[in-house]
Amino acid sequence: MRRMGLAGLLILGLLAAPLAVWADEGSCIQCHAPQPGALGEPVALWRGSVHQGNGISCHGCHGGDPTLMSMEAMSPERGFLGAPEDSAVPSFCGRCHVGVEEDYRASAHGLALGEGGPQCVTCHGSHAVRVAGLDLINPQDCSRCHDYGRAGELRTAMEQTETLILALDAELKQLRRIGIAVEDWQGRLFALRNDFHRLFHSVDVDKVRRQTDTFQAKLAGMQDEVAELRAELNQRKWIGAGVVILLLAASGLFALLRQSYGRQENTE
Amino acid sequence: MDTGSKDFARRRALLATLLAGIGAVLTGAALYPVWRFLAPRKGAEAQDQVALSRDQVPLGGAHFFNFRGRPAVVLQTRAGHFTAFSAVCTHLGCVIQWQAAEQRFLCPCHAGLFSAEGAVLGGPPPRPLESLAVSLRDDQILVG
Repeated sequence: MRRMGLAGLLILGLLAAPLAVWADEGSCIQCHAPQPGALGEPVALWRGSVHQGNGISCHGCHGGDPTLMSMEAMSPERGFLGAPEDSAVPSFCGRCHVGVEEDYRASAHGLALGEGGPQCVTCHGSHAVRVAGLDLINPQDCSRCHDYGRAGELRTAMEQTETLILALDAELKQLRRIGIAVEDWQGRLFALRNDFHRLFHSVDVDKVRRQTDTFQAKLAGMQDEVAELRAELNQRKWIGAGVVILLLAASGLFALLRQSYGRQENTE
Repeated sequence: MDTGSKDFARRRALLATLLAGIGAVLTGAALYPVWRFLAPRKGAEAQDQVALSRDQVPLGGAHFFNFRGRPAVVLQTRAGHFTAFSAVCTHLGCVIQWQAAEQRFLCPCHAGLFSAEGAVLGGPPPRPLESLAVSLRDDQILVG
């Protein structure tokens, strides 16, 4: 009887799990995901995006009330903003990405807003947003609006520092996998990476070149700290191996001691 | 004691000495990390304390400085009343900015907002700003 009860609870739990996920996603996704075309596509694009990975759902950007299962969820009274006009996109994204918006607005890109200049979505896309990297600067995309030359220079100027950032990020992830607390380093690297990517939004090659040394010096400092930790971990490995060898030696000596007592007893 | 017994005794004395040596090394290896964890660093507190001049912090304003290798900020919210915080956002680690007009902190990465007391006002930060101890000596502000 008790077994049946437990099985019943397990089945109920399994049935309720997808409902819980469903409820977390809110009414926006429940209604839009099954729809064809432009109404449903954003949901599929959003899945797997950096926003979804960090718990930012539809209402995080578009407003509205995802707890309501009616059209009122999309009423302005519920804070619904809908999709912004092209020229309003920087303010739309800038509600969260404050620093990036500031640099973008002061740049050649930002100053050309409304006159054919690009806004956030032009380069980053709107729903399938990924963690930004230098691959966003490429001849195909930049040549849609202007010659690639200057953009290529900017990419070259940023490449070395970006490579160092990615290498350090990979190193920290590896350290985390072996149980080392790396939150502080990850926070510092995130802040540095964010500042560095903000620099890109100025689209000013000379500014990037001027500030590269400062970024690389900070990265070198962090690399030294990580190298120090690596050296300590290596030292610990050797000490661990030494302890194992000493324990084996101690057990051997114990065996010999025991044998010695046994032999003396036999001879007497 | 016959010769055989003497041999056994000498052999056991040698084995016991070797075992005691190994035991001492292993005990040392086990106790060293505990000692290193518990022993205070020499003069660490004095070195870590940062002294700032009162003139550096205007009334209603903020002064950013380096505290134990990380950015920190001291505020003068009322005349002669100073508070200090870590200037690292508790969301993802970016350095916050002081908005004097609004008397609050803004994180430029994801728009996290903190009050002048370090409490979260809005945005994604999960925790208040880390508060730092402040004491006053003559015309100096001591943080830490």
